[in-house]
Amino acid sequence: MTFTPPPTRTAVGDAFAQAGMLLSFTASTVAALGRTVARRRLAWRDVLEQTWFLASVTTFPSLLVTVPLGVVVALNVGSMAGQLGAEGYGGAVVAFVVVAQASPLICALMISGVGGSAVCADLGARTIREEVDAMEVMGIPALERFVVPRLIAAVVVTTLLACLVMAVGIGASYGFQTLVLGDSPGAFLSSLTEFSRVEDFVIAEIKAAAFGVIAALVACFKGLTAKGGPSGVGDAVNEAVVLAFILVFVANTVLTELYAAIVPARGAY
Amino acid sequence: MLAPVLHLPARAARPVVDGFAGLGRHSTFYARVLAAVPTVLVRHWRHVLRHVNDISFGSASLLAGGGTIGVVFAMSAVASTQIGLEGYRGLDIIGLSPMTGLMSALVNTREIAPVVASVALAAKVGTGFTAQLGAMRISDEIDALETMAVPSVPFLVSTRMAAAVLAVVPLYLVGLFASYAATSLAVVQLKGQSSGTYDYYFQLLLTPADVGFSLLKAVIFAVIITLVHCGHGFHATGGPEGVGKAAGRALRTSIVTIAIVDVLLTLTIWGTQPTLPGVGA
Repeated sequence: MTFTPPPTRTAVGDAFAQAGMLLSFTASTVAALGRTVARRRLAWRDVLEQTWFLASVTTFPSLLVTVPLGVVVALNVGSMAGQLGAEGYGGAVVAFVVVAQASPLICALMISGVGGSAVCADLGARTIREEVDAMEVMGIPALERFVVPRLIAAVVVTTLLACLVMAVGIGASYGFQTLVLGDSPGAFLSSLTEFSRVEDFVIAEIKAAAFGVIAALVACFKGLTAKGGPSGVGDAVNEAVVLAFILVFVANTVLTELYAAIVPARGAY
Repeated sequence: MLAPVLHLPARAARPVVDGFAGLGRHSTFYARVLAAVPTVLVRHWRHVLRHVNDISFGSASLLAGGGTIGVVFAMSAVASTQIGLEGYRGLDIIGLSPMTGLMSALVNTREIAPVVASVALAAKVGTGFTAQLGAMRISDEIDALETMAVPSVPFLVSTRMAAAVLAVVPLYLVGLFASYAATSLAVVQLKGQSSGTYDYYFQLLLTPADVGFSLLKAVIFAVIITLVHCGHGFHATGGPEGVGKAAGRALRTSIVTIAIVDVLLTLTIWGTQPTLPGVGA
């Protein structure tokens, strides 16, 4: 399985060629996933190793980003709600901003920025040293051996990380609002529980899983198609990060709108 | 017999010492970069202009946004569409959905636009810097420069720093425009709010001072991004894979730093009890 871009002359042609290759790469990966599961030859050790690796590089930075974010949410909402005479409204906002929006997005930034760049660098270096071709010659398909374990690992890590980010984000927002801004803890907690919904949590987890899939596929695709020596690997990482960020932001809007159309908003303050 | 035991404290302390050594090495690097910026503006201004062009338009494929200006525009627009939709939903539950315009004027200007544009800048320009400098480092081009008596830090890094600060102002203003346009479009077209109501609250809460502070935030973030990403690229080791790993580490460091500095700047500029301009009280 090789993915060589056809020679194109125009930027538009190149963009379409890349998009088409990414789609066909996705389809081949799904087929490879089905094959490995059906024939029971999923590389469990690789899955575990990749999961551990991704979790160890993304967890701490995600939490370091989440705490300031919780503070920013509390700060902006607190000021607004206080002036509009809606104290305790902070809990309601945290319920859907941190849970449904911020936690999947932070996971996505970390998994595609930090995890994805490491995956892309690893696979890119193997590609330009022709290790991947050598494995294909020996009858070990790169998609089954490299891409499928990384895809599974990314999904597992993002879904678990999203929960952690939610807990820390809500905690930071609550702590800042009650301890620093001096709002009532009871009002915060009651509006938090009133406006929290299981559906919000479920869609956040679905989003996180989708972002994990996007990050893993883009990083593996760019890594396996890297060419041109050391600077080629660097360029592949650069393009993988940019492409994954854009796709994740677009997917976030699409999923949020689909969700809003399917599940109507609940309750009035 | 006693020797391995005596080595234990030294071994335990090694990560800490290494951490401090890395911190010191990067801080010295940052100081040298910043100190040389005035010199390169005079001596290497052609390179600075060339980097400004690379940063703004770049040579990336169209699929990856086609240059930084496209990436910043796209990410700001998509993120601010969310602000419009979520802000409408949030204000709707307290019956204040006509005031969604204030979300755009306040949250976009103060937080979302600077942070999102900077994350886009870090992803596109920052990892590009790491990739370029890292490739030069591992193919010994930086050592070659030093051998030819060209001071490598000013020539390679300070020129990029000057170019990034020059380029970020128009880039950020494009991003801010995209944010305002996307939020307005989302609220007026998708949610069906009257555009007059939206514009009234938007203009009531948008002050020139806030836009200035927002631009200041973006410039500070651009300086941080350039320092962090160039530092990781300049000190890259470990072959092609090392360059890619350095790009990932740089991105992690810059995103975390941006998040923390953002809160500190928000607290410094607007205080712990920010007030809404124009709403009274």
